[in-house]
Amino acid sequence: MMASLWQYVLSGVVDGAIFALVAAGFVLIYQVTGLINFAQGEFAMIGAMTAAALATAGMPTLAAAGIAVLAAAVVGALCYLLAIRPARKSTGVTLIFITLGLDVALRGLALFVWGTNPLSLNAFSSGNAIALFGGALPPQAMWVLGSDVIVFAALYLFFRHTYAGTAVRAAVANPPIASTFGIPLRTFAFWSFVVAAAIGGLGGVMIAPITSATYDMGLTLGLAGFVAAVLGGLDSLPGALVGGFVLGIVEHVAGGLWSTGWEQGVGFLILVLVLVLRPQGLLGRATRRA
Amino acid sequence: MYGRTGLVLLVVVAAIVWILPSYYTGLLTLIGLYALVTIGLNLFMGYAGQVSLGQAAFFGVGAYTSATFAVKANITPWLGMVLGAIVAALVAYALSFVALRLRENLLALATLALGIVINVVFNQWDFIGGTSGLKDIPGFTIGSFTFDQRAYAILAWALVAVGIWFAGNLVRSSFGRSLIAISAGELGAQALGVHSERLKRQTFVLSAVYAGAAGAIYASQASYIDPTSFSFLLSVNFVLMSVIGGLRSLWGAVIGATVVVALGQILQNVVPVVLPSARGDFQSFFLGVILIAMLILLPRGITSRLSEARRA
Repeated sequence: MMASLWQYVLSGVVDGAIFALVAAGFVLIYQVTGLINFAQGEFAMIGAMTAAALATAGMPTLAAAGIAVLAAAVVGALCYLLAIRPARKSTGVTLIFITLGLDVALRGLALFVWGTNPLSLNAFSSGNAIALFGGALPPQAMWVLGSDVIVFAALYLFFRHTYAGTAVRAAVANPPIASTFGIPLRTFAFWSFVVAAAIGGLGGVMIAPITSATYDMGLTLGLAGFVAAVLGGLDSLPGALVGGFVLGIVEHVAGGLWSTGWEQGVGFLILVLVLVLRPQGLLGRATRRA
Repeated sequence: MYGRTGLVLLVVVAAIVWILPSYYTGLLTLIGLYALVTIGLNLFMGYAGQVSLGQAAFFGVGAYTSATFAVKANITPWLGMVLGAIVAALVAYALSFVALRLRENLLALATLALGIVINVVFNQWDFIGGTSGLKDIPGFTIGSFTFDQRAYAILAWALVAVGIWFAGNLVRSSFGRSLIAISAGELGAQALGVHSERLKRQTFVLSAVYAGAAGAIYASQASYIDPTSFSFLLSVNFVLMSVIGGLRSLWGAVIGATVVVALGQILQNVVPVVLPSARGDFQSFFLGVILIAMLILLPRGITSRLSEARRA
């Protein structure tokens, strides 16, 4: 019993690391633009599908993965330029609907390009499962956890130790005043979409060898990312990391102990509880932006 | 005005079902049922200024309630329709304590999540069929007459007429003006003595009543339901109907439902001819693009353009 429980936790950690990447994208866009991007999960889908399709066509796995992340970034840029920017003067609800439209449009587009069949991607490194205190981690787990470390470390360094990162923080803290100091808010909004899409795409690339890639994986992944982001606090990048892992572990343990069909339900139950009891999330600030 | 036009619409529907092929009569019924859901949604989103991305769940609750009572307990769908509306209302009432504390972004997220949780319940609860759904759902009957497609179309549009009459009276009463005040600014409305929390809850529950009743008819008309009939994509479709017709417009709901259903049919028939590889839910691409284009170009819907033209 304890052994299988530990195994659920380990599987949860792997999923959680992916959720954390998707959640990081949400937090970035939310911080910079005040917008919840419902299409975030589709960036992960684009990453996964592109990598799997290229690898199936014969490209080396790592090269396919790199191109897939770039493809996701380009899609993110296009989404901003074609859909978000033309509507930047709209009210909140309109922008919510626009990102919702992006979500279903990207899913439909993927269906046109890649069809309904799942595509598989080889693990990035071969080798045996890694034994850990009686449980086992797939070799892919190292890549997943490694990309979490790199992405979150890079974000931390950017925001804390670069001039541009400080400017973004200023823009988040007080947009009008930052603007009078010559900080280009609109450029930041653009780059928040590009970077969020790239990080989401990376998450998709990483999960593709574990679950295989399908055109409709984005919704589930995106929703898990939301839950993780809200759980950690929508305005906190460390929160996204913590939220991702908590959600991954809880889902797997609950799914393992009861039945896997309830996994998603458990995740949303957490979301609803957090929204009601602690809307600022585990690590978020208590004050909420208007 | 809403009552009379609704009645005219009902008469038109009752007349054309005799010449329409039965396939199109079925579509007409679907348009009526979706319009009913969208009328409720427009009260909540357009007038009260809230968001719901889980409306398909209430449609599903109505359908499952009526179907379960009919299949398991042999209860007539007439009563099932009322029960479906009541159960959907109760679910909405319970959820409102969670959802309506939030606004905009977080409300959208919460309703989306609750919609999916309800879908998970449909999938997991074996008593109501689990993933395989419910089959052979009894139809509506009057005496020995079992409803055919024509009768369903007339029933659906009779409810649309009643629904739009009721909603029309509501939005022109102090209730409706209070809702508009809430959407303009909740704090300001409260300062003027509007019980915003209570009104939002009542509107949310009312929107579920519309969706639940429509869902109950849908179950009997289709005679088969499963969880995929009430997915997130259907909720997006309802939002699209709202947006296309115009959020703050009751006739917009009817127009939006018509456009979306017609569009779905056209896409289903045309796209595979042009692109033979297209399969599955590929319509979602067009739905998404149209939703974005509408919001950028015509954010207040088709009806806003129509009423401008009438004024000019």
